[in-house]
Amino acid sequence: MPQNDKAILSRLKEQKVEFVIIGGVCGVLHGASLVTLDLDICCRFSRENLRRLEAAVKDLHPRHRLTANKLPFELTDHLCDTLKNVYLNTDLGILDCLGEVLGVGGYEEVWRQSVPHRLSDGEFRILNLDALIAAKSAGGRGKDLDAVKLLLAIKERKAQQNELF
Amino acid sequence: MNGKYVCPPDAGPAWRAAVEHGFDMSLVEDALRLTPEQRLEQHQRALDLVLEVKEAGERHAAK
Repeated sequence: MPQNDKAILSRLKEQKVEFVIIGGVCGVLHGASLVTLDLDICCRFSRENLRRLEAAVKDLHPRHRLTANKLPFELTDHLCDTLKNVYLNTDLGILDCLGEVLGVGGYEEVWRQSVPHRLSDGEFRILNLDALIAAKSAGGRGKDLDAVKLLLAIKERKAQQNELF
Repeated sequence: MNGKYVCPPDAGPAWRAAVEHGFDMSLVEDALRLTPEQRLEQHQRALDLVLEVKEAGERHAAK
């Protein structure tokens, strides 16, 4: 299955989904030499925003990838009110949408601890380095803790070069 | 020259710790010279390769 992060991001932008890029792709954008197989975002879990998310992936055969029968991603108002996270398989790859980030907080806090990055499709918000390090540390998995070592080195380097992070 | 990464003279403790941990920091140095857009494109190329190898492995295992 392909994984085209840029194309997914472009669709989210087009539908005006409120989100912040987190996880491995966020690390890559900060300069980490990691390969990550999915795109993780933190988004506002309001009905309106989830409907925008639905519109962004509607024609990509989205399915809840962690459900036993890979149920199609079809929202109802009730579902919008009860969902905390959405883990999707789409024709453009995996898109995991979280309502909150361990070690950082809910969407508002994640947004507050994010910085804008300009890509060809416009401006996107990504977790700042400190928040990404906090999130990866809180995750506690081996690969996350490895990534923390790399991110701390990048933070140190950027501080030496007086770069904003 | 003989394959061993040499830390920049001004490398701090976190950078040296990452080298000690086994990360190829020359890749990070290269990535830090790129724009975020270029980093994403470079990641996409690496990812495409990983997925291609993964699929080939799965096809081989299915035989």
